Amino acid sequence: MLEQFIKIKNSALAEIQSVKNSAELEALENKLLGRKNGELTNLLKGLKDLSSEEKKSVGQAANDVKQTIESAMAEKKSELARAEWVKSSEKESMDVTQPALPSKSRGHFHPITLVQNKLEDLFASMGFMVLDGPELESDYYNFTAVNIPENHPARDTQDTFYIKKHPNWLMRTQTSSVQVRAMQKYGAPLRAIVPGRCFRNESTDARHEHTLYQIEGVVIDSGINFGNMKAVLEQVVKNLYGAETKLRLRPKYYPFVEPGVNGEITCVLCQGKGCRVCKQSGWLEIFGAGLIHPNVIKEGGIDAKKYQGFAFGFGLDRLVMLKYGIDEIRVLKSGEMKFLEQF
Amino acid sequence: MLISFNWLSQYLQLPSGVTPEQVAEKLKLSTVEVEKVERLGANLKDVVVGKVLKTAKHPNADKLSVCEVDVGQEKLSVVCGGSNVKEWMLVALAKIGAKVRWHGEGEFVELKPVAIRGVDSQGMICASTEIGLGEMFPLKEEKEILNLSGRRLKIGMPLSEALNLNDAILEIDNKSLSHRPDLWGHYGIAREIGALFKIKLKDYSVGKFKKGNRFDLHVKVAELKLCPRYMAVAIDGVVVGESPAWLKQRLLAVGLRPINNIVDITNYVMLDLGQPMHAFDAASLNSKPIIVRLAKDKEEFIALDGQKHKLESFMLVIADEKHPIALAGVIGGEASGGEASGVSANTKTIIFESANFDAASVRQTSMKLGLRTDSSARFEKGLDPSLCELALAKAVELALEICPGAKAVSNVVDEAHWHLNRGIIELSMEFLQKKLGVEIKQKEIAEILVNLGFGVKIKKDVLRVTAPSWRAGKDIVIAEDLVEEIARIYGFANIPSQLPIFSISPPRENKLRNLERRAAETLVKELGYAEVYNYSFVSAAQVKNLDDDLSKYIELDNPLSKEKPFLRRHLLSNLLENIQNNLVDYDELKIFEIGKVFAAGETGVRAETNSDELLPRQDTWLEAVFVNKKDNTPFWEIRRAVEIIFQSLNLDWQIAPLDKVQVWEHPTRLALLSHNGKVVGVIHELNPMTANALGIESRVGVLKINLSKLAEVMKEKIDIYKKISIYPAMTRDIAFLVKKEISHAEIVKALSHVDQLLKKVELFDVYSGDKFGVGKKSMAYHLIYSNSDRTLTTNEVNKAHDKVKTVLKSKFGAETRE
Repeated sequence: MLEQFIKIKNSALAEIQSVKNSAELEALENKLLGRKNGELTNLLKGLKDLSSEEKKSVGQAANDVKQTIESAMAEKKSELARAEWVKSSEKESMDVTQPALPSKSRGHFHPITLVQNKLEDLFASMGFMVLDGPELESDYYNFTAVNIPENHPARDTQDTFYIKKHPNWLMRTQTSSVQVRAMQKYGAPLRAIVPGRCFRNESTDARHEHTLYQIEGVVIDSGINFGNMKAVLEQVVKNLYGAETKLRLRPKYYPFVEPGVNGEITCVLCQGKGCRVCKQSGWLEIFGAGLIHPNVIKEGGIDAKKYQGFAFGFGLDRLVMLKYGIDEIRVLKSGEMKFLEQF
Repeated sequence: MLISFNWLSQYLQLPSGVTPEQVAEKLKLSTVEVEKVERLGANLKDVVVGKVLKTAKHPNADKLSVCEVDVGQEKLSVVCGGSNVKEWMLVALAKIGAKVRWHGEGEFVELKPVAIRGVDSQGMICASTEIGLGEMFPLKEEKEILNLSGRRLKIGMPLSEALNLNDAILEIDNKSLSHRPDLWGHYGIAREIGALFKIKLKDYSVGKFKKGNRFDLHVKVAELKLCPRYMAVAIDGVVVGESPAWLKQRLLAVGLRPINNIVDITNYVMLDLGQPMHAFDAASLNSKPIIVRLAKDKEEFIALDGQKHKLESFMLVIADEKHPIALAGVIGGEASGGEASGVSANTKTIIFESANFDAASVRQTSMKLGLRTDSSARFEKGLDPSLCELALAKAVELALEICPGAKAVSNVVDEAHWHLNRGIIELSMEFLQKKLGVEIKQKEIAEILVNLGFGVKIKKDVLRVTAPSWRAGKDIVIAEDLVEEIARIYGFANIPSQLPIFSISPPRENKLRNLERRAAETLVKELGYAEVYNYSFVSAAQVKNLDDDLSKYIELDNPLSKEKPFLRRHLLSNLLENIQNNLVDYDELKIFEIGKVFAAGETGVRAETNSDELLPRQDTWLEAVFVNKKDNTPFWEIRRAVEIIFQSLNLDWQIAPLDKVQVWEHPTRLALLSHNGKVVGVIHELNPMTANALGIESRVGVLKINLSKLAEVMKEKIDIYKKISIYPAMTRDIAFLVKKEISHAEIVKALSHVDQLLKKVELFDVYSGDKFGVGKKSMAYHLIYSNSDRTLTTNEVNKAHDKVKTVLKSKFGAETRE
């Protein structure tokens, strides 16, 4: 009987070796191991008629033969499956360059929102509150409170929309209108930014808009100085335009600060070499700033002897235009989908 | 304002090698905006003085001639179209390679060798306009070439040298000078440059003149506040004529056209010292004295340009007894009968006026009449009254020099009613360091101030500073003003950056702003909406299209366009305009805006500190519109947006039908949105009648949420974890017919307490069609039963499900469909 097992093992292994496909393998499996008439199955069934002595010696060998055949079959099976997968995977090939269909349109933030959010997050990380104020503002908060009394020539440079039947109401020309409101509400120390919409009664063209966005900042504390202002604004421009960006300050007159400066960065397009955008100067003006005038601090109800601070204002539209290379300011408020889709 | 570099060098000895560009750069970094530096002769390279030796008719053109021109080393053959070209004429000859402007227009282009009508031309005989000298040599006729004959010039010398055009002009942005009245003339700019380069400024020297007593000059100033100083003197024996070349050159260099010697003198003094002056013809005055008074209401004034103006009673005039002869500080006038009060060719005796007028008054007058002049631009900045004296003396000196027979024949009037507070301003070193964050040596600080004209006395750690008269009371009043002077001259670049040190308290939350950002985020990222920024202004037509009440809109007093004078009360009007404009190119539009609207009649924040007046309410709204050309019930898409927005905000919300309908809302497709019982918005379809009026053929879904209101009342849900049941749930579906009016909300509410095994009621289908009978609809729900303690038995689920059927039947008359 033992010989029979050895024989069946040898012939089985040879047959397994020569199998070509999974159908043949299945047939072979049935022939050898089929529950009813498998050759090996039948042989194994015969074991029960043996004496217990023989069972011991033959049984062990028979079991080995069965395992050997089964594992050879399993191995062949996976070998065949691999070969067949290679074939069928070729059939499953597809054009991976094709977009997923049906196409699904995505949403778009307005580019001003994108830049504004980025700045808000930066300032929030430095402990600044984000404040808000009315767009229809009083003459007082927009001008008088920030050291621009009536008949001050600075009013000339900010053509103003006034409100019918309310001569002391206007559309705010600058987010600085929130400075004194913030001081009165929160006192000192104060760290806040005010992003928002402002209005100028100016004819529009490619570079001028009557509706514009600013982001104002105010810092008031007992030991704030010019060097602090410079450092904070350097952080901001580096965050916006990269660590390589250089900042320079130049004197500029704003009634609500003293000293007043404007901030210029190395041109983002030509890296300071001089180009059309920076008018060959290599520098781009992007904000106004200064140490807050004591009159403004006093107007905010804060002790100007004890506290000082700085304020700054960025034109958001300009930042956006520089960032995305937009050369026509009016497109920002055009509601044109072909514009919005680009962001 | 234009500043001539040569003019400046009258007052400063700059180190050799310092270029105009370097000066401009220093000024930019420490004082004012220099927009550009223009080298006057820069465009005249390769333009030389030539002499026409011969002219001959061009063989192929009647109006052209072929000229032989001597340019020193060589003789050139040049085709010329000049109407006045003659033999032996001295001309400006542009050699090949020179820059010229064709026909005196457009950009400068390089001259190349060309053949004109078959004849080679080796250069070009230029008209003044073709080489940028049109101002200096105005054309008398169109085809006239520049005639240099009569000057002693060397043939072949560069034209820039021949005309003394080696100057550089600094163009300064006037806006950057608005706070510095002292910088509106060359002497003031020179002083500033002196401080920047630490070079001593030369004294402004002006000789004394002999007064006369032949002419009794009287001035009566009625408005002492508006005219703090009025100086005048009469000069007899003037001969009005052309100014000498040096004077014309000075004026032309800075863009002013010479008129006659007397007017040129007043202009020169203004450009030199910044003090505007005026010269009257003494003979034109109807009487003495000269009166400085307020205008009478509607008084007529004819300016020297012939323009007639109606004056108002706040305007200051210079007048004789009958008429105003000048608008103080703004413009001179014509006297009665069209006779100019200014200087004409027949003038023999003049009166020089050198006065100081109130800045605000001049500004108001010039603004009101729309008359902005070089004079008003200076006075409205607030000039130094002590300048009057210097300017007058300079003008007289020049008049006597230019008209040798002239002399002062009157007393010098000086109606002076002014006082300057020049300080003392105390500046402590501690204060300065605290402001700038850098320690600067006291000596250096004192030097900076002294170079700018300040008086400085050092007293231990304090500087006792006196402001110069030209800045006192204007931009120098308090110690902070001195800090600026020191900082900008010391150099902003030299002040080290140093991040401030703050306590680490986190910023106070801005609830509204956070809400805005989160809502926008959901709309863009989850729902695919595009964010738009529209203007805050709307037109009457837009309001009318919505059938909204115009009286509820706030109106601008001075709108930019008459078309859109109203402040938006909804964002919707402009969003609908976005749809109109974009729908041509798109089948589907999803657009939203977040912005402020203005509500007339509703009150918001305080207008002024401690005032009762309140500004109108200005809430921030989120409004969104949805259109799809194939979708006739965009309401659902909009409702989905609301669901997702509130879910992502983690806020409970309720929706309810609405009785009060606005005209532009679809009367049966609208619902009110609330949060915690407070109304915060509305969703609806646009009334198709409104859409029609706007030319929008598709249905429009509209979402409006008042974010200001929501931020005020919002309360986030508290999510508490529910243990996940290990026992399987059982889902039974149910479909039934009910009347159309029965709402989903009512059904959910009725089923909420039917049986505690029923955990969830999910609508999955609604259908209404004819086969169910008129006014009926079929609704289908998944009902999910579960028990967290044990496995459900079929029996208990059956019992619960039967209860559901019973309730639906009894409450809604529902017929269950099997």
